Amino acid sequence: MRRKGRSVQRTATLLVEIGTEELPWHMIEPALHQLGYLFGQVLERERLPHGEIQTFGTPRRLSVLVTDLVAGQAPQSQEVWGPPQAVAFDAHGHPTQAAYGFAKSQGVQVADLVVRETPKGRYVCVVKEQPGRRTPELMAEAIPQVILGLTFPKAMKWNDTGIRFARPIRWLVGLYGSTTVRFEVAGVQSGSSTHGHRFLQQTTRKRSDIIKLSTADQYLPSLERAGVIVDQNRRRSLFEAQLRDQAKRVKGFILATNREQLLAQAVYSVEYPAVICGRFDSRYLDLPKEVLVTSMQEHQGFFPLVDRHGALLPRFLAAVNTKPDKTNCIRAGNERVLAARLADAQYFFQEDQKTKLVERVPQLQGIIFHQKLGSLFQKTERMVTLIGILAEACGRGELKETCQRAALLSKADLTTGMVGEFPSLQGTMGQIYAGLDGESESVSQALGEYYSPKTPDDQVPQTEVGQLLALTDRLDTLSAFFQAGLHPSGSEDPFGLRRSAYGLVRILVEKSHLVVNLVDLIAQATQVLHAQGLPPQDDRSDSEKSRARLLEFIMERFRFYGRTVHGLREDVLEAVLASRPAEVCDLSDLFTRVQALHAITQQPDFDPLIVGFKRAHRLVEKEGWMQRQVYPEHFVHESERNLYQGLVAAQQQLTQSMNHRDYGAALQALIKLKPVIDAFFLGVLVNAPEPQLRANRLSLLACVNDLFGQVADFSRIQVHEQ
Amino acid sequence: MTVQDLISALHSYWAEQHCLLVQPYDLEKGAGTFNPATFLRALGPEPWRAAYVEPCRRPTDGRYGENPNRLQHYYQYQVVLKPAPDTIQSLYLDSLTSLGIDPRKHDIQFVQDDWESPTLGAWGLGWEVRLDGMEITQFTYFQEAGGHELDPITAELTYGIERIAMYLQEVDNVFDLVWADGVTYGDLFHEAEVQFSRYHFDQADVEMIKRTFEAFEEECRRLLAEQLVLPAYDYCMKTSHLFNILDARGALSVAERTGYIARVRALARGCASAYVDRRAALGFPLLRADGPDGRKPIRGTTRSTKARAIRTLSGRHKL
Repeated sequence: MRRKGRSVQRTATLLVEIGTEELPWHMIEPALHQLGYLFGQVLERERLPHGEIQTFGTPRRLSVLVTDLVAGQAPQSQEVWGPPQAVAFDAHGHPTQAAYGFAKSQGVQVADLVVRETPKGRYVCVVKEQPGRRTPELMAEAIPQVILGLTFPKAMKWNDTGIRFARPIRWLVGLYGSTTVRFEVAGVQSGSSTHGHRFLQQTTRKRSDIIKLSTADQYLPSLERAGVIVDQNRRRSLFEAQLRDQAKRVKGFILATNREQLLAQAVYSVEYPAVICGRFDSRYLDLPKEVLVTSMQEHQGFFPLVDRHGALLPRFLAAVNTKPDKTNCIRAGNERVLAARLADAQYFFQEDQKTKLVERVPQLQGIIFHQKLGSLFQKTERMVTLIGILAEACGRGELKETCQRAALLSKADLTTGMVGEFPSLQGTMGQIYAGLDGESESVSQALGEYYSPKTPDDQVPQTEVGQLLALTDRLDTLSAFFQAGLHPSGSEDPFGLRRSAYGLVRILVEKSHLVVNLVDLIAQATQVLHAQGLPPQDDRSDSEKSRARLLEFIMERFRFYGRTVHGLREDVLEAVLASRPAEVCDLSDLFTRVQALHAITQQPDFDPLIVGFKRAHRLVEKEGWMQRQVYPEHFVHESERNLYQGLVAAQQQLTQSMNHRDYGAALQALIKLKPVIDAFFLGVLVNAPEPQLRANRLSLLACVNDLFGQVADFSRIQVHEQ
Repeated sequence: MTVQDLISALHSYWAEQHCLLVQPYDLEKGAGTFNPATFLRALGPEPWRAAYVEPCRRPTDGRYGENPNRLQHYYQYQVVLKPAPDTIQSLYLDSLTSLGIDPRKHDIQFVQDDWESPTLGAWGLGWEVRLDGMEITQFTYFQEAGGHELDPITAELTYGIERIAMYLQEVDNVFDLVWADGVTYGDLFHEAEVQFSRYHFDQADVEMIKRTFEAFEEECRRLLAEQLVLPAYDYCMKTSHLFNILDARGALSVAERTGYIARVRALARGCASAYVDRRAALGFPLLRADGPDGRKPIRGTTRSTKARAIRTLSGRHKL
């Protein structure tokens, strides 16, 4: 026992390394999260106290270091229960046949049986000491499960074990202190040797990149000597420093757009971080900035450089996976690649300008939007009609013509060579070519911004025409797919409809001057679609149900937006949404109400007010009280008269405030009712024996209920009732 | 290093690695993958190890010989290794050394590139290999071909011969490449680029090609019914090339385009199934112990692979 106790105290570092062929950069970080989590679970399950669990990743390895991991499990005692004491021992305390039988079944002597108190009485039991198992042995069993438990967006097979992983596993390291942890995954045996950088060996004489590790603690320094910076955070800061230095050397700054993503890509694409600075022919600076930036960033992952005014320099920085050689062949190679791409871009830019956007519109007939929903030309036609309706519905009839021109041209850039080569430039090229075609500033700006917001953090369009075009495009897409029964189900959303609906919500809420009734608009969009005979009768789902489903789908995004972006209370959102009449849905108005209600819930008077309201609400509901006529002549108590007068005044203020959409003031009018409601309940008995008095009081409460109901369904608000 | 030196160097390197130096297939195709030496040999349990130069035609990439980097006809150097050896990445990197590219002086990166051929019903995972930022090789572990899940897995290496040669010769225009002393790539192929671009973009007789497509499709199906899988596959390849011409000619709407791709894929699937059946009927001849290159067994051709292969197929074929 003493020996065991001592060994439990001993700790060492555990190293596990999965050596692979080059992993896709974006899969590394998620895999490391899983790895850390799964190891934490295993160590917890096996009762192995430990220090920090660190995970590291490069394209060729995923690894875990667990510091201060104990050498083995503490011994554990387990109780096996037998018969009750009264059965196992007779009145004289002698063991019975039952006791002998139980002892035998457990492989112990009767003398080893003990009696313990339980909630059910005193029982016989055997206490079994389970010796703790040693860490290397436990890990040898657990590690393969952890490795095979990692999931990737796409996995592959490579040998006859049929195991799937992101890329082939080529070596495995398992070290506990200096002890090798032996296991096997996908036909690969673990050992204590790892591999250094493919091309950066310390000595040029050494052909092999194999490195023997004598202890787990040597891992990071040994690999660093072999040209591998295993710690991603260190690679990141080394990159950042070099990027800064190299940019400074040419008096430039790294372009901010996509900088973080490019850096993450660089960090997880190399084992040894280095940066080179290349240049390109300055005649290409005549190309639109977006085209140059995309040529550099997409595919090549270069960092564009700008001067202090934000203008592009004819230079770029590139992340490389080696120490750049004096011969400069790496720089020259990268420059040549970029030059070829820019030559192509220039060719497309010149060719594209030979055909104006408006002349390209008929070509959209050849591009299918969706087989059930016609061509992009048909979508364009729908958008032209719908944006006209939308502009007028928002009271911006004077923008109708501009809007329709923008809608007409909105998809034309998809037929250009440039967008064919760089699909991410859709919209951007529309704006640039529209400008060159002599379209108005509002039209070209709208084309440039209507795909926004592309991500949750992206801005919504800034111009009014851009906003209307963005809404029209999304509204048409959403109602078309819903009418064809192609709405998202579960986590499947192949057409990105959630993102479309979220963008729509954000535009309507964040651009609050856009007062539109979504119920109407969805109906209009459906009508425009059906007027084209789309979707074909066979593919059409029930129109009304689809419209209702779409509205609910948008409202779900609205709730999500309110909760996650503005931290709004769930019950507050529900209270407002429940009071929405079925035929009207104005998101900006609903949002204003939610915010006002959310603000007022913070006031000290609010919860007690709701307690009073709920009492009134419950009584009216319980009685199913339909009458609203209140007879002041039947008042017998001052509190009845005060409540009545309070109600009249509140209704007046409420109506006025609601007309001005000043929901804060409307809610204040309700808050002011708190004392008279409280006094009423204190002063009179609602269920008075006299029917006339009772009826009058219930009617008063029904008025209270109605008054509140004009702003929100307060019965859904949760309060702490004292 | 001239273009022909480069080809010779790859030939001798891969021959040393026990690859059969098979020859280009004599039909038009968009990529070396279409050669039966890759597409069909990747199917089924039989080992395979081959290297060859493949002329490829991509009508849409034609630029009338005016673009320094794009060609409608070019050469791939194709290596297929089945089963994929564990050391395949080092084998590949050593092949670059044999071309005089010292990996220690350059920046070589394996950048994720998942490959898919909708016409062949095939996909795989792998990389594009970049040499100082330039893509020089497609490296793919095939997972499926002709709709068949593959076992064993074939690794395919596709070198862009012109790209690598341009790099080695330090020229910026493909037509300036030296094919052999005194003869440039332009001397050999520029006129073909001009003529074929004109043909594909301006002259191809759309109606004739559509008719021919139908006829070849029909012939492929008929031959499959006759269990003549190799001639059937020829007609499948021909339909694929005709589709590429129609595509370049701008003769297909998006919907039609999808339709044509699906038709070629259906033929490729039919050929793949028929090929596996036929090889099974022949008893998978290349599973024999001395291997197809006649020198030594191909790694991974173990008894268990053979036993398993026969076990899985015998149920269907009563072997």
